Amino acid sequence: MARVKLQITRRAFMKSALAGGGGLAMAGLGAGAGLAAPPARIIDGEPGWFYRGEIKRTYNYCDMCPWRCGVIVESVNGQVYKIDGNPADPKSRGMLCARGQGGVSFMYDPDRLQAPMVRTGERGEGKFQEVTWTEALDQAAEKIQAIADEYGPESIAIFGHTSGDFWLTDYFAQAFGTPNAAKPSASLCTSPREEASTLTFGLPVGGHEPVDWDYLKCLTLIGSHIGEDSRNTLMQDYTNAWARGAKVIVVDPRMSTVASKADYWLPIKPGTDTALLLAWMNVIINENRYDAEYVAEWTEGFEALKAHVQAFTPEWAAGITELPAELIAETARVMADNAPQAVIMPGRHTTWYGNDTQRMRAEYLINSLLGAYGRQGGFYFNKSPYIESYPHPPFLVKGTSGGCSAGPSEDVANAPLPAGPTGKHRADGVREDFLRGATAMQELIDPMISGEPYPIKGLIVYGVNLLNSIPDTERTKEALKKLDFVLVIDVLPQEHVAWADIVLPEATYLERYDELWTVAHKTPYIAMREPAVEPLYDTKPAWWMARELGLRLDMDKYFKWQDIEEYLNTRLMSVGSSLDKMREQNGVIIQKGKPYFEDYGNKSPFHTKSKKIELFAHELELAGLGGLPVYEEIEQPPDGYMRLLYGRHPVHTFAKTQNTPVLHALYPENEVWINEDLAAAQGFKDGDMVWLENQDGARSGPVRVKATQRIRKDAVYLVHGFGQNAPGLSRANGKGASDTKLETRYALDPISGGAGMRVNFVHLVKEA
Amino acid sequence: MTDYAFLLDLGRCIGCEACVAACKTGNELPTDLQFIQISEKSTGTFPDVTSLVLNHRCFHCTNAACVEVCPTGALYKEDGLTRLNREACSGCSYCVDACPFGVPQIYDGFSSKCDGCAEVVKAGGTPWCVKTCPNHALMYDTRENILAAAQNRLEALKGRYPDARIYGETEAGGLGMIVVMPDKPEAFDLPENPEPAFVIKAWQDLVQPVSAALTGLSIVVTGALAIIARRNHMQELARFEEDLAQREVAEATAGDSSQETTAEKEEV
Ligand code: SF4
Ligand code: SF4
Ligand code: SF4
Ligand code: SF4
Repeated sequence: MARVKLQITRRAFMKSALAGGGGLAMAGLGAGAGLAAPPARIIDGEPGWFYRGEIKRTYNYCDMCPWRCGVIVESVNGQVYKIDGNPADPKSRGMLCARGQGGVSFMYDPDRLQAPMVRTGERGEGKFQEVTWTEALDQAAEKIQAIADEYGPESIAIFGHTSGDFWLTDYFAQAFGTPNAAKPSASLCTSPREEASTLTFGLPVGGHEPVDWDYLKCLTLIGSHIGEDSRNTLMQDYTNAWARGAKVIVVDPRMSTVASKADYWLPIKPGTDTALLLAWMNVIINENRYDAEYVAEWTEGFEALKAHVQAFTPEWAAGITELPAELIAETARVMADNAPQAVIMPGRHTTWYGNDTQRMRAEYLINSLLGAYGRQGGFYFNKSPYIESYPHPPFLVKGTSGGCSAGPSEDVANAPLPAGPTGKHRADGVREDFLRGATAMQELIDPMISGEPYPIKGLIVYGVNLLNSIPDTERTKEALKKLDFVLVIDVLPQEHVAWADIVLPEATYLERYDELWTVAHKTPYIAMREPAVEPLYDTKPAWWMARELGLRLDMDKYFKWQDIEEYLNTRLMSVGSSLDKMREQNGVIIQKGKPYFEDYGNKSPFHTKSKKIELFAHELELAGLGGLPVYEEIEQPPDGYMRLLYGRHPVHTFAKTQNTPVLHALYPENEVWINEDLAAAQGFKDGDMVWLENQDGARSGPVRVKATQRIRKDAVYLVHGFGQNAPGLSRANGKGASDTKLETRYALDPISGGAGMRVNFVHLVKEA
Repeated sequence: MTDYAFLLDLGRCIGCEACVAACKTGNELPTDLQFIQISEKSTGTFPDVTSLVLNHRCFHCTNAACVEVCPTGALYKEDGLTRLNREACSGCSYCVDACPFGVPQIYDGFSSKCDGCAEVVKAGGTPWCVKTCPNHALMYDTRENILAAAQNRLEALKGRYPDARIYGETEAGGLGMIVVMPDKPEAFDLPENPEPAFVIKAWQDLVQPVSAALTGLSIVVTGALAIIARRNHMQELARFEEDLAQREVAEATAGDSSQETTAEKEEV
């Protein structure tokens, strides 16, 4: 086996390989280049791939975003050519978004990590040596064991994202005994909507916002940009509802694509959404447009809410939101006229300004006043599929990593915090700095630096683009320098890979079996993932890595299964199925849901203490956080600065797909959206290249100016995930500007622990 | 023989580019080539802004200008759709100039455009773009069924957009891409009456007869024509007859150009 000292950066590596001659060439690289998806068939006149041999079809669920559409992967002669939606899957229904279509290209990205490596230079330098899996795993286990022996297993933090994260962030973490396992999908994304939901209904939102689309008559989106955020099922359902004539109200400082087709666009002043929501409640209540019967039967705290909103008239909100009072009143009436088939969709990324759980509660209160929950055309009650876990001894700690597919969270405020084997609970400051919710990833960074409340000494990062998702990247780098051990598992040489001590290259979702996909849905269902082809290079799946690490750390009793097929078949046995049976039945198992009130007999579907919708949140009131939502003014941009807003482009996910050849070709770099008149006044025009500089002097760029009338003058907008500083990503490296790097600060949500990131201000600087 | 057609519903199209990625992947297109271009067009001043998603792709004209000008038969009509056989293309780029929608592009020396997923359809499949469009903005069926579906889509759209219309029923002899649009064609940068570029008229008058006479001739002649054709069309039209008169000269060196053409194809 070749022992090469290489820069992790693929480019530099290729250079050195060339410079060094044959002796330095890596077997993997040659193989990889040869296996890249065949381009340019159009030129050589070869018949279509589907004529080149027998088509092998395998079942999978997409990993190009967290939505996880069921897919059928088509390969011929050991080469994957095409992925399409599995028509039997409740999420894809046979269709996929651009990213899902780009999965083939993701797998054949020649920049992929190819073999396990250990660091030879300084952290951050990106100098690595290739080693065998045995060496890499032995060393990693040794380091992890040493930290656990000295400080306790709680001192290992595990960050995970994308669908294989179960094996590390959930299974391994709980078996090993660390409560410091976290996912960006919680405190950097959905925590506010989840905590608001649990506080109000005793139920989480769950993965798929449970909008009963087929019967919907009025949709309100606050900041959600369906179509740019291209979650497949949402696009399908939204467009069908829109085409059917459902009213669409979009509240967004920027005219998103969905706003451009909406019946009402409310270009709200950023950060004032709660004022708008309170005024809507004012209209709905004072004009007696709420569902009185529903409110009486299913809610608690209405009188308090009614008294609370009296002062919040549309006129009051107009002054704050910069929206006409008449428009505020009119849209409230449109919602009410269509109730209960009228919903404000919770959205997903809700960590905006730090007061986000209260804003989300305000949305839910309106939905409740309109009687939408449990009613056809409003919100259905989703349900997780029934299936047993693989039998294992009790875990050493209860999992609190949450995430977008987390099950119902319990009433954590009243339960003792789960502690690890040496008695320590989460180090993220829950109960002190914020009330409740999943472990807050960004709050685990300080303990790595300060050692308070106890030291975190080791970090395992699975699939999280650490330096392009957690705000305040300089702080994260400081933490990375301080740690005793950093293990990175990834498919691509992302920016943070340079900071690892050991790098384990993962096989993509098309090359591996994986945990079953079980998520709450209208029709609960189970989807499977099986490999279409053998893993490229010397890569392995996460389940294998978690097990190999576990076996080296005396955790054998948790890894009794010999291989993943046995694990999966054992689980499937509990629902009378198996991998083979699933293959015969279109790759999915669909169960019966309980979407409406009728399905609960005389039981309440709500899991709050009162078994009702708690319009007034006693838990928040007791904690001094306000039982009813109020509008709080947030800091405004200083003169000459604009608020930095960010969102998605339909062909990209997080900071994950920017390097994928096919997707990169469609949107290679982001642009900074700025109001055209404002740009002109500042001497910029469409297409100019600029740098963005924030209130603390942090810079990112260069980035192209998109001067447009589609945005307010007090904000600029970036598509997230660009501006990566990762030379190993030959396409994405240095393209565009990074919102994360301009988020040198964030506002901690005192309820959910979410990191509000829209509290940063930037101005444009001419390219130097 | 049944004519087939696509439906493009610009009311529903949300610009998600799933079709673009599906087409690129399914057809194994080179990374820098795509057959569908999605863009936006905004008018007005904040906050009174109109923004439209533009979806630019082959319209599969019944009287296809590209087919009419193509001297080699590389472009041809089949099942109502405009097919392209790149193997037969000489790279003259007449189609590029003739198309009223600016669809064909010269990629690596030869024309390239959507062929309606000819191979996929022949294998019993659905065109990749249609199969995946999450917004049901695309359909593929017999032209008759597509026209009926377009009527239904139009009715649905009229509630919101009184100016909504169907485009392609008769334009350019009827398009193989029936577009349901919320606004006038100009709003989407589409010609009200897609007239083939003026070159096609000159072509029909001047070259078509010659072209017909050439059909039986070898690629040698085609290669010669390609050399002529690569010149600027404006000048060329003015000098066309002269050029044709010089054909003998070109033919004298045709042996070389023929080899070049073949070599090019093998190389790539
Ligand atoms: S929405 Fe798109 S990227 Fe996400 S899982 Fe579905 S197909 Fe994949
Ligand atoms: S996939 Fe459909 S909705 Fe998306 S851009 Fe293409 S035609 Fe439009
Ligand atoms: S480039 Fe010339 S030969 Fe090729 S398809 Fe177009 S018109 Fe025909
Ligand atoms: S019909 Fe086929 S070739 Fe044409 S755009 Fe659609 S996928 Fe591409």
